[in-house]
Amino acid sequence: MSFTTSRPFQQIFTNVLKRLSQRNLRPSSTLTNIQSKPITNTLHHSNYLPTTQHGFRYALLAGGISFSVAVAGIIHATRDKSRTPPLIDTPAKTSPSTTNSPDFPGAIGALSQAFPEQGIVSTDPHELFAYAQSSYSQRLPHTVVVHVQSTEDVVKVVNISRKHLVPIVPYSGGTSLEGNLSAPRSGSICIDLSAMNRILAINESDADAVCQAGVTWNDLNETLREKGIPLFFPLDPGRDATIGGMISTGCSGTNAVKYGTARGEWILNATVVLPSGEVIKTRQRARKSSAGFDLTKLFIGAEGTLGIITEATLRLAPLLPTRVAVVQFPDVRRATNAVCDVLNQGAAMQCVEIIDELGIKALNAFGTSDKVWPEKVTLFFKFQGAEDVIRNNSNLVARVMAQHEASDYRLAENEEEGELIWQDRRNALFAGLAYLPGCKGWITDVCVPVSKLPDLIHAAKKDFEELGLVAPIAGHVGDGNFHALVLYRDETELALVREAVSRINRKAIELEGTCTGEHGVGTGKREYLLSELGQGTVSLMRMIKQTIDPHNLFNPGKVS
Amino acid sequence: MTMTPRMSTSLSWVCRLSGTRPLPVGAKLLRPLHPRLESLPSRPYSTSTWAGSEPLKHASQLRRVAIVSFALGALGCYGLQRGASGRTDTRDVPLTHRVSSVHATGAVAGSSPLLNASNAPSELPFTYGTPEDVTKAIEELRQAFPESRVSTDPSVLQLHGSSENSYHPSSPHSVVVQASSTEDVVKIVNISRKYRVPIIPYSGATSLEGHFSGHASGSICLDMSTMDRILEINEADGDLTCQAGARWEDINSTLKEKGIPLFFPLDPGPGATIGGMVGTGCSGTNAVRYGTAKGEWFLSLTVVLPSGKVIKTRRRARKSAAGFDTTKLFIGAEGTLGIITEATLRLTPQVPTKVVMAQFPNVGTAVSAVNDILKTPYGHHIQCAELLDDNMMSAINAAGLVERPYPVQDTLFFKIQGSPESIVEASKAIQEIASKHGSSHFEFASTDEEAQEIWQNRKYALMSTLGAHLGTKCWTTDVCVPTSKLPQLVYETKADLAKADLKSTIVGHVGDGNFHALILFSNEKELKAVSAAVHRLIHRAIAMDGTCSGEHGVGIGKTEYLVEELGEGTVELMKTIKRAVDPLNLFNPGKLYPQNDPSHGRHDL
Repeated sequence: MSFTTSRPFQQIFTNVLKRLSQRNLRPSSTLTNIQSKPITNTLHHSNYLPTTQHGFRYALLAGGISFSVAVAGIIHATRDKSRTPPLIDTPAKTSPSTTNSPDFPGAIGALSQAFPEQGIVSTDPHELFAYAQSSYSQRLPHTVVVHVQSTEDVVKVVNISRKHLVPIVPYSGGTSLEGNLSAPRSGSICIDLSAMNRILAINESDADAVCQAGVTWNDLNETLREKGIPLFFPLDPGRDATIGGMISTGCSGTNAVKYGTARGEWILNATVVLPSGEVIKTRQRARKSSAGFDLTKLFIGAEGTLGIITEATLRLAPLLPTRVAVVQFPDVRRATNAVCDVLNQGAAMQCVEIIDELGIKALNAFGTSDKVWPEKVTLFFKFQGAEDVIRNNSNLVARVMAQHEASDYRLAENEEEGELIWQDRRNALFAGLAYLPGCKGWITDVCVPVSKLPDLIHAAKKDFEELGLVAPIAGHVGDGNFHALVLYRDETELALVREAVSRINRKAIELEGTCTGEHGVGTGKREYLLSELGQGTVSLMRMIKQTIDPHNLFNPGKVS
Repeated sequence: MTMTPRMSTSLSWVCRLSGTRPLPVGAKLLRPLHPRLESLPSRPYSTSTWAGSEPLKHASQLRRVAIVSFALGALGCYGLQRGASGRTDTRDVPLTHRVSSVHATGAVAGSSPLLNASNAPSELPFTYGTPEDVTKAIEELRQAFPESRVSTDPSVLQLHGSSENSYHPSSPHSVVVQASSTEDVVKIVNISRKYRVPIIPYSGATSLEGHFSGHASGSICLDMSTMDRILEINEADGDLTCQAGARWEDINSTLKEKGIPLFFPLDPGPGATIGGMVGTGCSGTNAVRYGTAKGEWFLSLTVVLPSGKVIKTRRRARKSAAGFDTTKLFIGAEGTLGIITEATLRLTPQVPTKVVMAQFPNVGTAVSAVNDILKTPYGHHIQCAELLDDNMMSAINAAGLVERPYPVQDTLFFKIQGSPESIVEASKAIQEIASKHGSSHFEFASTDEEAQEIWQNRKYALMSTLGAHLGTKCWTTDVCVPTSKLPQLVYETKADLAKADLKSTIVGHVGDGNFHALILFSNEKELKAVSAAVHRLIHRAIAMDGTCSGEHGVGIGKTEYLVEELGEGTVELMKTIKRAVDPLNLFNPGKLYPQNDPSHGRHDL
């Protein structure tokens, strides 16, 4: 991995900015896990001028959200409310006692008392709205935002939330795509952990690091690089995602082919504040342990519904030289078959990414690349290791690709050239958004067993065609995960997008896959959970939720 | 770690009972999805069914209902647990009815049990059926299953309830039942619940921490060892579905026979089965390169819950962000939360390997050499990095298992993987670093046979240790610490053992910071000394930010260290989950959770 901002890259980056401003587009951090520097930096240029002491983060966030606000408005108007079944099935007759209703004034009073310093507790309407993220659905403001600085602060807020029965929604990076951070209708305390962004310890000889939940993965890697420590944290979701959010969504990214996901063994332990206000540390720091089932895993993918993560110990991996290769195919099926084949032959790869012919066309039109790609399905490989190992692997891959009618396999001359090519992969999202002037995009996130991927992409493309939608595809083919950026310009098209997304999700589940490979469930995908996991598994998840959070105060309405 | 005579007897018993050899592993039996997964009543813990309820239209109404529902649900679980410990007259009443009776009392949901957790550590219920109930359960099992599958033969009961290689209190089971399908397991679980007889799963019987020992109140041993079929191999996806009794070695040899260039990389002791490997959260020598059972090797599990319900935790995609992964709840749970009947495993491509041996002046230099090697660009070519101390090397020589004796010195065995050319490059890099750390001798296994022999000797370390010291027994420890702390831990432990006048051999998965001291004893007095030394070792490891168990699990042997290692709050949360999932504490009671089980005495030395 290299995060060097080389000169050519800066040029590209300036180009991206120019293009974006020409097209009056504001890419949103809520829109992507296909990360890229342009996202954040564009946000720096946004017009929102922060005034609070948390202004900097606030600016990032507000810009990031602005897109989804627009979407939310449209969606609200067209939303078919009966579509999402309620996931709580207690009969209405067991009506609640009135003492169980949330006491917001009481909670705000208690918070102001507990945090008397200026700017910690905020009810500024802009802020309440800005911190309430949403997917492609209706957006409501929080009731109060608290900017916490420590685990103790979180405990205080949790205790106040419980006393006054007010729901609590954790926030840090604000890069979520599925409404994982949205405010519940009843109102909520948003607990903002983004200021808890300190790296607490780096144990180079044990290859691990302890940090607070608000640290972003890119900052962590940057810090390691600056300190000259040849290690890195390999989970690479959308840029500026934070450790807390990454654990909570069970994230992954382009490196998952080699390093797996957040559900693997990268999170050695987590410090968690439970709904009871109790603080637990799930494990010690050894690389492995068989001391019972690992409670760390309970919070991975729980989206803050079972506990609020405040610190974590992360395992780090040695930083290795990398090299990029590209190859093109006449169609998606041949490309994905080639990937299946090459993966099972044991070629060591860090990443395998795909962009379909439409995505390439958009990329060419976007004009940030120093080359014009033939408009074909393109695979991007990233190899790692010593020079001879890279050559060996590259030769193996080239051989397998040729068996699948690939053309123009090319290994980059050196790491710098590789980085340039990789930028094209990173810019696929922006290129896609720019493809239809004035459009917005909805990103899908299905994942299936790799051999089913050709069928799935084929079915998805057919659906898009049938519905008359434009949807460039980019994906982590090595894992069987892909994202279609489904474009729409108006409400009529948005309705079609919903239909297409629903079809893709159902198709993926039918193919033994999942509705979400890495973005999480949030509010957007709860309706698919039953068909994906089955009644029994979802019941077990709910039972655990009920047991740990009996008042349903932690990020209610998300996940199960 | 080894195939004990006891285990082979057990296997032959299994074969005798079933009348045949277990079905040939590897018959590719494509099979429709478990019908039960779709058809079982889905929510035993709630008063209504999902399908029947009218969707609530208004969110505010929904939210109020949600709050009450969660509160009542929690109360229900709490009530179940209380009810279970006090009453025996509700035995035949299905769980659902008992929950509604709790609702009907109109009790107000107060603070959840968890809220008081840190103040008063709560206990799990240990109230079980009477001896008559156990008899009735056995009768019902006999009715439900063919005679050959239910045994109360004392030697069989004894055999299934204890291991020669662990020294923890154990009781024989009351009955051993062989399950041949998930449906069988459901039947047995339902009978166990009906008569309140604890149920203890059993398959490979390679556990070292008393995981499958019987319960003093009487227990049903659920023998899964004949559920050892591979159900489906998806070569293109690199995954495989098998039953819980399948052994990892059989899986890998089946793949090899079929010419499928994939393998399952978790390699604990020979004879271990998938169910047990999930249950202990195992690892093995390959963990340096491939990680452990707690990683992403188990794509999904089919599990029978204490309620009798069957769930499949996931679908087959390699990754998913669909909520927290319930698969992980059962990994390391030692059968206390559910009984695993099937699993989908991720496989990995077979890569050529070579074995290299390097001698070092001491353990410290050996460990720091490994740490340095893992950080080079060749680090990911290291599939295994195993330490054998001088005593272990001499034991291997003395046990007479090798053609020519090894040098008696602290030694590292590496397994290097990759294409032949990259193996050559990698071993050059390794040798360079090794000699920087004072390694005097560096040698490739000259042939594949020799490589295999070296590895075999490592895998059979327990047997070699016992073989070299005839007439002795051996207690295997299993601590794991952050890698930089390992040399200190090994030194201090060696010094401590020497002071206590105890003989031991040491093998270590140094790349992970995990090592096993195999401490020898031949009488009660020595056993006491061993036990005390093990205590000190574990406290030492925990103080170094480590764990009492790197890969063998907690079982009976290590429950006492759990609070010290994980903290009261974490252990309490584990118990809270246990109570919610298994309110009657019928699934493998007395294991894993620190508790006051009245039926177990103190550590039995």
